[in-house]
Amino acid sequence: MPLLATRALTKTFGGLRAVDALDLHLEEGEILGVIGPNGAGKTTLFSLIAGSIPPTAGAVLLDGVSMLGRPAFKMVRAGVVRTHQIVKPFPNLSVVENVVVGALHAGGRATGSVRDRAVEVLAFVGLEDRTHAFPGTLTLAGRKRLELARALATAPRVLMLDEVIAGLNPAEAQALATLIRRIRDERQVSVIMIEHVMPAVMSLSDRVVVLDRGRKIAEGTPAEVVNDSVVVDAYLGENHEGGTA
Amino acid sequence: MRSRIRGLAPTPILAGFLLTGAALAVLPLVLELSIYTHNLMTLTFLSVAGALAWNWMGGFLGQVSFGHAATFGVGGFVAARIVLWAPVPAPLAWLVGGLVAGVFALGAHPALRLRGPYFSIATIGLGEATRLLFTYWEDFTGGSSGLSLPIETALKHRLYWWGLGLVVLVTAASWLIRRSGLGLQLLAIKADVDAAADLGVSATFYQDLMIALSGAVVGVTGGMWASYFSFIEPNDMFGFDRSIGFVLMAVIGGVGTVLGPLLGAVVFVLLRQYLLASYPQLYLGVYGLLLIFIILFEPLGLTGLLRRLWQRLSALRGKV
Repeated sequence: MPLLATRALTKTFGGLRAVDALDLHLEEGEILGVIGPNGAGKTTLFSLIAGSIPPTAGAVLLDGVSMLGRPAFKMVRAGVVRTHQIVKPFPNLSVVENVVVGALHAGGRATGSVRDRAVEVLAFVGLEDRTHAFPGTLTLAGRKRLELARALATAPRVLMLDEVIAGLNPAEAQALATLIRRIRDERQVSVIMIEHVMPAVMSLSDRVVVLDRGRKIAEGTPAEVVNDSVVVDAYLGENHEGGTA
Repeated sequence: MRSRIRGLAPTPILAGFLLTGAALAVLPLVLELSIYTHNLMTLTFLSVAGALAWNWMGGFLGQVSFGHAATFGVGGFVAARIVLWAPVPAPLAWLVGGLVAGVFALGAHPALRLRGPYFSIATIGLGEATRLLFTYWEDFTGGSSGLSLPIETALKHRLYWWGLGLVVLVTAASWLIRRSGLGLQLLAIKADVDAAADLGVSATFYQDLMIALSGAVVGVTGGMWASYFSFIEPNDMFGFDRSIGFVLMAVIGGVGTVLGPLLGAVVFVLLRQYLLASYPQLYLGVYGLLLIFIILFEPLGLTGLLRRLWQRLSALRGKV
């Protein structure tokens, strides 16, 4: 049984089918890349899985159990957490306090005091020397690490990363990619990541799903997906040089 | 590692607070307080407790209420009715009044769908609706002619300590809330409800909790007020300027800080007393100006000013 799965998950906004009868699955210990052109429904997919918005139809299953009707805060307690593409630190709380808010909701999956766990997570993401700073004083890379730390503090089983690497310089991007791999290897967290930075997705992902207009148009190992003509068409249009038209 | 989450309880402040409390507690025993002073101080205690409780919602949670007079009035009238109905000790009546007010405050729950100023506007409506409802419910509140309670001089005298005790209790509660995980979650909700939910914070639960707690404490002060003045009247108890008063006290002292509303309430009550006696026609105008200046120059009110002063002093001391 997959750790997390969606069954015919659908979300319509008026006439627009943002996510269209999507079947996905995430295995324990897997890093799943989700790619697709702008407007493909990737972030909507995350919002649906995270419980931030209710689906029009279909369901999200965790350990085979339907999570239908669970709002975001309950999904976190069940072990499914997301980060945001536009990071949202609490500006009125210090870095460690930001992480404590997440650490309070580990739902019995973690041991030790909330404070200790927050400090441990900060060290893990490399923010230990900014513990008492305020988020406004961090660089973008720092705020992305904070966003990661807060999510990790909830001791998730499934971590959904929405473009954590985008917008960083190559050195920072490389460091963050290493961090994502360590999250899986050292903390046994399964990861779904949306990313536009192709080298990162291709090197990190065990499997890649390609979305276009809310539908899954391809799925496979990174190597299979990049050579899939349907995928190339979706990104570059059907009449590009060497296309299938 | 048991370090403080943030340096909120420097020992001097705690010591100062306890000393002030102890001094106020023995004051009437040592000095012969005039009735006017006794009145004013008791009134100040009730306002301080109310302002601190308002701040749980308006400050910590960022849910600025312009309708807290509703809970003040409900607490007051329920306590008064209990005292008139059965020979129960007054503190029990205040407590029940507070509990009823806390539950009543949950009536504001649907307004939580609104955020920021929209929530505040809704609380104005709820507060005014409550005032009208209770003014017309003459069987319960006596309508515009109000309710009279038996005058109990001894109780009135003791209310000084009851009020002071409530202040100590509510201040301690504010401190504990702010320093705990609960306080962090409230501040997280204030910063960004959705981001808080994405980290597992049940925003609605904590909002309801703080509405009820805040309303309950203000309700208790309403009951004490009723006992103190032995006469209450809906248009005064539920009055809009009373609701504004809570906001002003917190803003003057420093919204969202632990001790700000305490300072603010003391200043507010004393200033109002002075203005009403000397310049009644300027009274509201002065508050208006004060608000403008605070918002423009020091959004954290007196607390902000004190912090600046403290930093200046520290800097000076560093130079010498």
